[in-house]
Amino acid sequence: MEYQTLLEKIQNKHPSILVGANENCDDEIYIKSTPEKFNELCLALHEELHSPVMSMFAQDLESHFRVYCSFLGIKYKKWFFVTMDIAKDTPQFKSIAKEIYSANLFDREIKELFGIEPLGNPDTRRLRLHDEVWPNGFFPLRKNFVPPKETGTLGEYKFTKVEGDGIFEVPVGPVHAGIIGPGHFRFSVAGEPIINLEIRLGFTHRGIEKLMEGKTVEEALQISECVSGDASFAHSWALCHAIEKIYGLKIPERASYIRAILLELERMYNHVSDIGGIATDVGFSHPSALASIIKELIHQLNIQLTGHRFLKGVNMIGGVTKDIDENKKALLLNVLPIILRDFNELKQILSSSTSFLDRVDTTGMLKKKTAEDFGVLGVAGRASGIAIDLRKNAHPAYVGVDFSPQTAETGDVLARLNIRIQEFEQSANLIQKILGKMTPQSINEKSFSFKEGFALGYVEGWRGPVLYWININKERKIERCKIVDPSFRNWQGLSYAVIENIIPDFPLCNKSFNLSYAGTDL
Amino acid sequence: MEVLSLISQTILIIIFAPLVSGIITKIKNNLRFRRGPSIFQPYYNLAKYFSKEAIISDSASWIFKATPYIVFASTVTAVMIIPVFIGGGITQYIGDFIAVIFLLALGRFFLALAGLDPATTFGGMGSSREMFISSFVEPVAIMAIFAAALTVGTTNLTALYGIGTMTTSLILAAASIFLITLAETARIPIDNQETHLELTMVHEAMVLEYGGRSLALLELAAYVKQLLFFIMISLFILPGFGGLLFLIAKILVLAIVVAFTEVSIAKMRLFRVVDFMFFAGILAILALIAIVLGV
Repeated sequence: MEYQTLLEKIQNKHPSILVGANENCDDEIYIKSTPEKFNELCLALHEELHSPVMSMFAQDLESHFRVYCSFLGIKYKKWFFVTMDIAKDTPQFKSIAKEIYSANLFDREIKELFGIEPLGNPDTRRLRLHDEVWPNGFFPLRKNFVPPKETGTLGEYKFTKVEGDGIFEVPVGPVHAGIIGPGHFRFSVAGEPIINLEIRLGFTHRGIEKLMEGKTVEEALQISECVSGDASFAHSWALCHAIEKIYGLKIPERASYIRAILLELERMYNHVSDIGGIATDVGFSHPSALASIIKELIHQLNIQLTGHRFLKGVNMIGGVTKDIDENKKALLLNVLPIILRDFNELKQILSSSTSFLDRVDTTGMLKKKTAEDFGVLGVAGRASGIAIDLRKNAHPAYVGVDFSPQTAETGDVLARLNIRIQEFEQSANLIQKILGKMTPQSINEKSFSFKEGFALGYVEGWRGPVLYWININKERKIERCKIVDPSFRNWQGLSYAVIENIIPDFPLCNKSFNLSYAGTDL
Repeated sequence: MEVLSLISQTILIIIFAPLVSGIITKIKNNLRFRRGPSIFQPYYNLAKYFSKEAIISDSASWIFKATPYIVFASTVTAVMIIPVFIGGGITQYIGDFIAVIFLLALGRFFLALAGLDPATTFGGMGSSREMFISSFVEPVAIMAIFAAALTVGTTNLTALYGIGTMTTSLILAAASIFLITLAETARIPIDNQETHLELTMVHEAMVLEYGGRSLALLELAAYVKQLLFFIMISLFILPGFGGLLFLIAKILVLAIVVAFTEVSIAKMRLFRVVDFMFFAGILAILALIAIVLGV
């Protein structure tokens, strides 16, 4: 379907709302708006496209700020960006979080990074630059930012208070047992049942978006691999995708296929690790040991294919650095059946254990409406019935491969587990299909010419959509890089999924989402 | 002479108690395709804890400091009461099986208080859960033991050695005690000794604030309590075979059964524990009915 019809439809409903639309890099539509019309236009797109706010960010353009708000048009295979310019002397805009709740976290992010006030948003607490350490009046993504010399003012973060007879607050974290990232969880409980959960993150904030500024694309590529270690391939691919779009670079099909294969391997090792993790968290140790074996097999496969267990150093602008030649193809085709055989055994153990199923069934339910409101996507979204999978809906690398996203309706731990099981098998299947389609070809396109511009790179990582919006300036450096990891919004889904569950089931719910601290904190 | 042998028997039990846990852990790890730590690891752990200083919260009262000693002492006293391989003798003058249950309850009471005492996040959670579970465990345990007592006609279970054959009631009582053992020794499906997830802990949550010698005493008491329950089950099963070698064989078999149980099922939802203990209670009641029916 042509996107112009959509724009005409919106124009008919809301006269004089569209200021002007530009196409950019094949699949991006930029609609220029004004601060007065911005909210109305966003809401109209949100309703027409049934898309949450996929990304919303600001950019400092010397003379003014520009705010972008993007939506995914699945039917049109296009990304819609609504932009508005905000004068520097009045850094504020009318918040759209009341109309489109999935914009809420982005509002808070824009406020703390740019000092642009989202008027009317009741919750503008800081996300990552904690009051305890970060002084007021310093906005790191403004171009004239000078780092503060002193640490913060020891302000206090105000958690939502639930009061009443027998209601207790249970603070957990930010330091946890085991090898995971830091995050503070504030439970309000009545005995064991959870009444409210508030999650405070940002403890591993590394200032990645600031760090990206002024870097060459090669340096940026290396940084992207470290944004969230368990999704390093998805992140580096998303970055390459954005830059290749800006350069107008058509990468060889073979490179696309190799990327797809490696992305599926990344999905497989993470999914099986999570399946094992879910079993561990209910003390079911035999299948979790089996899952670790499978995970290790895939890591060893990764190292044999690319020289890196976590698939780093493979992506490059224009393709990939490592080929999957005939030997490696044979290796993959030999090892995949072994992995699938072990996985089948794992599946059998889990699905035949009543004690296990009793724990995961109906635990941690996330309703579809809640998931939609928060913009929960990826595994957690699909388990609640949101059938968005960028591989199917938008991504060119999967064109021509028979593939349909896996979804479930119940949104409980069992549903998220089942999605992972199905996607694991689907990934193995995809790899075999893609291997069959590969033809001898170069694996990277080295001759390309530099261009300045901006584009959105996107990949369906194993957790969900990974988005990189990148702007390259005349000096061939990164001018602005906005990263959205699916964890960023999915954490809110977790805090609602656990309500009415009991405290000892929280780790299980948490594991079934398995969100990234690093990807959220950036 | 009898006093000396009782003391030496108790010391032997304390010495060998950690080994039972070491063996269970080893079997569990082998079942999970792992090598696992040596069966002597519990001893290394104890040695480590004993050589470390204990750090005690400023807000903790005397209860926190006294609890490890109370728990250890009450558990060891309980061990002195049950007949192990010295049947009869002076143990019958100290107390009977009801005293065992009460001594263990005393330790639990103080441990629950100690969990609350430093006012940390997880201790109170553990104490509340432990009390919740024990409110089901204790009545069932008493019922199961009454079934055994009715079988032999006295609450002094030394008399069990007098019974050559097994009765239906003893088998049912032993099954009931086995389920109670899983709960009392913090094992799956009730609790999970291996977890690092504080929010799911029961026993571990209560002792989370302990370190050094205090922790060593609490751990040792837990090992001794586990062996005590194993011995109790051994008494009910084939009571005629009471020699030391038979006892060791029975304990090893129990260790294997516990290890298999732990590896092959998932931990229950907290409130499902009620169903589990209800089942143990039904077994105990069936044991009583079997006595009445005379089968």
